[in-house]
Amino acid sequence: MLRPAVIDDAGARDGAVSLLLPELRRYLARDVDGEAIDREGAIPEATRDGLARLGLFGLTIPESHGGAGLSLGAACEVVATLAEADRSIAIMVGLHAGLGTRGLVQHGTAELRDRWLPRLASGECVASFGATEASAGSDLTMLSTRVKPVAGGLRIDGEKSYVTNGGFAGLFTILASSPGLGGARAASLVCVPRDAEGVKIGREEDKLGIRGSSTVTVTFDGVVVPWSHLLGEPGKGIVLTHGLLAWGRTIMSAGCVGAARSALAMAMAHTHTRRQSRRPLSAFGATRAHLAWMSMRTRAMEAIVRDVSAAAEAGGPIAIPSAIAKVYCSDTAFAIADRALQLHGALGFLEPTGVARLLRDCRITRIFEGANDVLLVRIGAALLADPSALGRTGAEALDALALRLGAAVDAARRRWGVGAVNHQLALQRIARAHIALAVGAALLDGDDAGSSHAVSELVSEGNEALEALDRADTDDARAAAVLSVLAEA
Amino acid sequence: MNALEKPRELTLSILAEVAEVTPDDLEPHHRLREDLGLDSLTSLELLSRLGEALKMDLEFEQAMDIRTVDDACLFVERQCSVPQ
Repeated sequence: MLRPAVIDDAGARDGAVSLLLPELRRYLARDVDGEAIDREGAIPEATRDGLARLGLFGLTIPESHGGAGLSLGAACEVVATLAEADRSIAIMVGLHAGLGTRGLVQHGTAELRDRWLPRLASGECVASFGATEASAGSDLTMLSTRVKPVAGGLRIDGEKSYVTNGGFAGLFTILASSPGLGGARAASLVCVPRDAEGVKIGREEDKLGIRGSSTVTVTFDGVVVPWSHLLGEPGKGIVLTHGLLAWGRTIMSAGCVGAARSALAMAMAHTHTRRQSRRPLSAFGATRAHLAWMSMRTRAMEAIVRDVSAAAEAGGPIAIPSAIAKVYCSDTAFAIADRALQLHGALGFLEPTGVARLLRDCRITRIFEGANDVLLVRIGAALLADPSALGRTGAEALDALALRLGAAVDAARRRWGVGAVNHQLALQRIARAHIALAVGAALLDGDDAGSSHAVSELVSEGNEALEALDRADTDDARAAAVLSVLAEA
Repeated sequence: MNALEKPRELTLSILAEVAEVTPDDLEPHHRLREDLGLDSLTSLELLSRLGEALKMDLEFEQAMDIRTVDDACLFVERQCSVPQ
C-alpha cells in the first residue's frame, strides 16, 4: 500500500510508542482481517489475546498497576494506528483506555485499583462505560438508573444503552442518579463487575458500522456492590464524567485520524494504479485536488489531536479543546472517507474494496461521545462566556480571522446578552469559526512547514462560518416557516 | 412566583431546574461548575432564565461574577432592590 507523507512515526513522541508502533503494524497486517470482523460482527477472541500480548490494554494504566503509564498523546498514536487497520478494534481499545479505565485510574479507591487495574492492564478483563440511557440520550442529567446506599454497600437499579465493549467487558463504570449521595438528585460514578448478581447483558446491536465493536444494553437489577466501588466523591458523578469525556473524545478523535489516513492511503493507491485515457487517475487535476484536500485535512486532524493531548499533558483544561477536536475530526474523517469512495467510482460502493466499510465505520463518530450538533452549541456558548480563549497566533491570516471572530462574539454578547443561549444556529456558526481557528493554530504549533495551504483553507472555512452567522436569524426564521407550512399540510 | 417578593426562592427554584436537583439540595456555598456540574451552556441557560423572570436583559458582564448558589441569590436580590 502506498504510504502518503502524513503517515510516519514522527508524531510518536513517546519512546515506548515508537518501539510499539512498528510491531503493532506488523501484527495488524498479519493477523487482523477487518472484512471478517465486519462480516461476523465480532472481534475474535484470538485477536483480543494478540492485542493483550502487545500490551494494548495497559496503555494508560499506571506502571505501578501493570500498565505502561503512557500519556494521552501516546495512547492517541496507538489508537490512530489501530483505526488505520480496523475501526472496531480501535473503538474497543480506545474505550478501554479512555472512558473505561480513566475513572478508576483517577478516582478509584486504593482497594479497587489494586484489585482491578492489573487485570485490566493485562487484558484479562476489558473495561466498559455506561452513561447513556434510552430515554436520556446525551443529557447526563436525566438519568433513571439509580444507585442508593443499602446495608452492605450500594444498590444499583436501571438500564444503560449503547454500552461499548459491554458484550465481553469484565468491569463497567456507570453513571447513575444517586438520591441520598450528595443530594436528592445528584449523580455518582460506580464500578460494577460483570459477575455481580443482577447484571444482565442484552443482545448485540445490529449496527451500520464498526460492526465488530460490541454494543449492548446492560441491565442492573438490584445489583449490590461495596462502598469501595464508588469513584470519587459521592454526588460528583456528572462533573467527573465531563472530565472522563474530555479524555475519551480526544482518543476518539485519534481514531478518526487513523480512519482518515486509511481512506487517503486507499485513494492514493487506487488513483495511482487505475488508468483512464492511458493515464493514471492521479495525473488528472481534479483527482489531485481531491487528494490534496484529503491530505491537508488529515494533517490538520493530526495537529489538533496533538495539540489537545499536549494541553492535557500540561495539566490544562481540555473540555472545550477536546470537543473542538472531536467535532473537527469526526466531520472531517467522514468527508475524507466519502471522497475516497468517490475516487474509487462504482468500485468504492462494493464492500470488498474496504472503502464502503470505512465510510460506514466513520459515521458513528459524529454521534457518540456527544453528538456534534450539541457539542457545536456548547463550543459556541463557551466562547461567548469567555472570549479571552481567542488568542493570537502570530500568523497574519489566522489573526485576522481571530479578530473578525472576536468582533462577532462581541456583537453577539451585546445584542443578545445571556439570551444568546436561545440562538443555537448562531452559536453553532460561531463554533465553526472557532474550530477553524483552533485547528489552524494547532497546525502552526506543530511547526509543520507543509501546512500553510491547510491553514489558508481553514481560514476560508472560518470566514464562511462567520458569513453564515450573519444570516443565522434569517435561516432560523425560514426553517420555522417551512416547518409551519409542513405542519399545516 | 413574584421575583420582587421572593427573589431567593425564585433563584433557587430556577437553579434547581437547570441543575436537575431539588431546591432543598442546594447549599449557599455550592459552586455552579464544580459542585452542580453546570458548564458554559447551562450557566447561560440559568442566567437567561433568571433574566426572563426578572424581565431584564442581562449582559454577560453582569453575570461573570456569579460562581456560587449564594452569588446567584445575591445577584437577583440586588436586581430586585433596584427601583424599576
